[in-house]
Amino acid sequence: MATSKKLITREEWEKKLNDVKIRKEDMNRLVMNFLVTEGYVDAAEKFRMESGTEPDIDLATITDRMAVKKAVQSGNVEDAIEKVNDLNPEILDTNPQLFFHLQQQRLIELIRKGKVEEALEFAQEELAPRGEENQSFLEELERTVALLAFEDVSNCPVGELLDIAQRLKTASEVNAAILTSQSHEKGEKEHLACDNRLQPADPKLPSLLKMLIWAQNQLDEKAAYPRINDLSTATLEDPTV
Amino acid sequence: MPASSASSAHRPEDLISRLSSAAAEDGGKLKALRELKNQIIGNRTKKLSYIKLGAVPSVVSILSSAAAEDDASSASLLVQSAAAVGSFACGLDAGVKAVLDAGAFPHLLSLISHPNNKVVDAGARSLKMIYQSKLAPKYDFLEEKNMEFLISLLNNENENVTGLGASIISHSCETNVEQKELSDAGVLKRLISLLGGSLCERDASLESLATVFKGNPEVVSMFLGPESGRALSAVTELTKDRYPRTRLLACMCLITIRNASPCYLQDVEQKTKLILILLELLDDPGQVGDEAAFALSSLIAEKEDLQQLAFEENVADKLCNHLQKGPLQAKRIQGILLALADLCSKLESCRSRLLSLQAIMVATRASSLDLDLTRETSQVLKLVTDALTHDSADVRAAACSCMKSVSRSVKVIIQNLSAGSFMNEVIVIPLVQLLHDTSTSVQVAALGAISNIVVEFSKHKSVFIQCGGVKQLVQLSKSMESAIRLNAVWALRNLMFLSDNRCKEGIFLELTVSTLTSLICDPEPSVQEQALALVRNLVDGCVDSIEYVFLEDGLILHAIGRQVQSALKAEVLVQGMYVLSNVASGNEIHKEAVMHQLFPQDGSTTEPIMIKHLQSKNSQLRTASAWALVNLTFPSNPGASSRVAKLWNAGVTSQLKNMVNDPCLDVKLRVKTALGQFMTFGDGST
Repeated sequence: MATSKKLITREEWEKKLNDVKIRKEDMNRLVMNFLVTEGYVDAAEKFRMESGTEPDIDLATITDRMAVKKAVQSGNVEDAIEKVNDLNPEILDTNPQLFFHLQQQRLIELIRKGKVEEALEFAQEELAPRGEENQSFLEELERTVALLAFEDVSNCPVGELLDIAQRLKTASEVNAAILTSQSHEKGEKEHLACDNRLQPADPKLPSLLKMLIWAQNQLDEKAAYPRINDLSTATLEDPTV
Repeated sequence: MPASSASSAHRPEDLISRLSSAAAEDGGKLKALRELKNQIIGNRTKKLSYIKLGAVPSVVSILSSAAAEDDASSASLLVQSAAAVGSFACGLDAGVKAVLDAGAFPHLLSLISHPNNKVVDAGARSLKMIYQSKLAPKYDFLEEKNMEFLISLLNNENENVTGLGASIISHSCETNVEQKELSDAGVLKRLISLLGGSLCERDASLESLATVFKGNPEVVSMFLGPESGRALSAVTELTKDRYPRTRLLACMCLITIRNASPCYLQDVEQKTKLILILLELLDDPGQVGDEAAFALSSLIAEKEDLQQLAFEENVADKLCNHLQKGPLQAKRIQGILLALADLCSKLESCRSRLLSLQAIMVATRASSLDLDLTRETSQVLKLVTDALTHDSADVRAAACSCMKSVSRSVKVIIQNLSAGSFMNEVIVIPLVQLLHDTSTSVQVAALGAISNIVVEFSKHKSVFIQCGGVKQLVQLSKSMESAIRLNAVWALRNLMFLSDNRCKEGIFLELTVSTLTSLICDPEPSVQEQALALVRNLVDGCVDSIEYVFLEDGLILHAIGRQVQSALKAEVLVQGMYVLSNVASGNEIHKEAVMHQLFPQDGSTTEPIMIKHLQSKNSQLRTASAWALVNLTFPSNPGASSRVAKLWNAGVTSQLKNMVNDPCLDVKLRVKTALGQFMTFGDGST
């Protein structure tokens, strides 16, 4: 079937690429968005001075947000909760799901440390009332408490809760909520995002790269063309026929 | 680890004493405040228990004394105490009440002009929380000073303060006068400019705009006026925003515009888009998803075109899928049931779609017959039936509304005829039980559903009567609550419709002459109307049933006569005239009694009521009156000629002659018949 594929030469391809005009400012905003979302304060500050790109949010708030994220990532959930409440008490008061997930993470950390009694008391006092308010929280709570039932937690059906991935998930949820609460971005249209329901915490750059890969895969079925195989260098490989 | 929960059982009291102790230094108080704040944020149970322990006044007293000072440590105390107060008020009416009772409001208000930005933030946030509750004091926009202050809030650079201004509008703007006043003061313009602001400003502005538009076409037209096409497209654009809450609020704003001024948003494509966006928002697991169902309901309520569009977009299926997902929060079930109720309120296609979804076999135990029945029924109907006994009153009421809409279906009726008693056993009985519900709104909704279900089929009626439904309806018809009285009488009226004689007698005996008489004379015109309609159904059919209104010296008939003479509402008069018309179809005594009610011989020289009704602007009243005349003058009756003479003397004949070209066809036909009958006795002049 390879014969039916269209061949696009490097010259043609580069000519087409050159026809696409991308505004420098847009590129800069993309970079700034990445630095801000990922929390690179110093780099964002330098980039702001060098490129004149204004970030969507006050750079000073990045430090606070990163401190919260790091606290969750390293298991200091209570510390993270206090920090969020200092930043803006509305965040956890109006976001029951996030609050529950943070408390659940606290419970997980207690279980990880083997503090069984404390964990049980915490589950009963802090989490059970949330379960009464919301059926899906109750199910998640039951799953979490089930960790206590296993001798070897690393090898049990709910063991994944103890994974670092769980911490990262919670951390990214908090990160997103804080970003949303701080967002000063003006109500302009999203030209860059393919899916306008991206979590605000997702930087746009990686999703653009995902789109690139998807588009190349689609194109592979129809044509041979200079492909980008190495994303870090973005060199065009000559088409193989 | 700081503040472990292990010893928390003993701590709340300690914490409060640390807050209120006079000896504690500012540092100690600050620490205690922060601890309290961190314990209660997001935690409803803790909020309640601290409120009970009296923590709120202690916090407010710190707030008020710190507000009087002016140093760095007082700023931190202000931030922490305002945050704690705000959290108590967040999402909890008991908290709002405690905060207001403790006198926090003026202190928080004074923080808005504090030099420290963090203090301003904390104060504005707390006030915003308070204004999200119904308990917050109403803001009087009509006071000039207040309006100036509000504008200064909206123009503030701090987005929490602008947000506060918007929250005040959303909370307190209720009347058309207030809406107009706000838009005249330039608030509309400022809100529109906030649509281009930050996320929080955008959301707050959308919510306030919807409040200012609600039911006010004048303000809506100002918004959509010459230069504001842009404003509308800004709102429309926000329905595609990436934040779900913003999308929802933008949709709700458009829905309010459409509901206030039906001439806007006529574009089919745009209407379809709104439906699709709301359907997508339903997938949100939180508050946004809950509210999306309510928004959908208000978009399609009473609007057949939108119900049709929603049907074409498979809204019925999608809502049912959500309903089956369970377990769901009460709010979510309520919203979905209401949306389904609206969807099925007019279109048979929607109802039959709903009922055909996933037909399954449901085994039910028929309690009154004491045997097991297996019936094929729709899964959805089963879910709705289950919701009739849900813990939440709101869900029960919504399930009743849904049942009411669905039971209008021809399909339900056919199924019921063929499949026997499923409807009776599984639906009627829980509905009758809901008549005893502690919540008035559930009772009213159950009455609405019962009214629909009992109207058609004798099978429903008998089960309904067997399980004590009539007794309960009669009881409710004596309720102090006019909405309950109205709906109970309505249900009785429908129950009476086309009933057989035994059934009528049973209902009448339960109801009694005196109750029925007082319902006809009820202070509420809507109740009078239904009571008269009930009597109309009662005396319809066989001649014997007319006798009911003559019992106990014609108490009922006299009451009807009084209403026909003196009621102000056309709807009441229409039903009254129809009853008299039905009675006049009986024997000579009946006819003479009606004549007596219509032309009382009290020697008064005022214009007879019959003439007035024949001249009414309401065509139904003219029709009913002409019907009565037809029945009174049927030529083969022995007393007809004397009645015709009397009517002629009263000027009825010449009035009828003026009506031969009545614009209403019904009236025209009856008038023609009546005049024909009059003429058989000569033209009366001789």
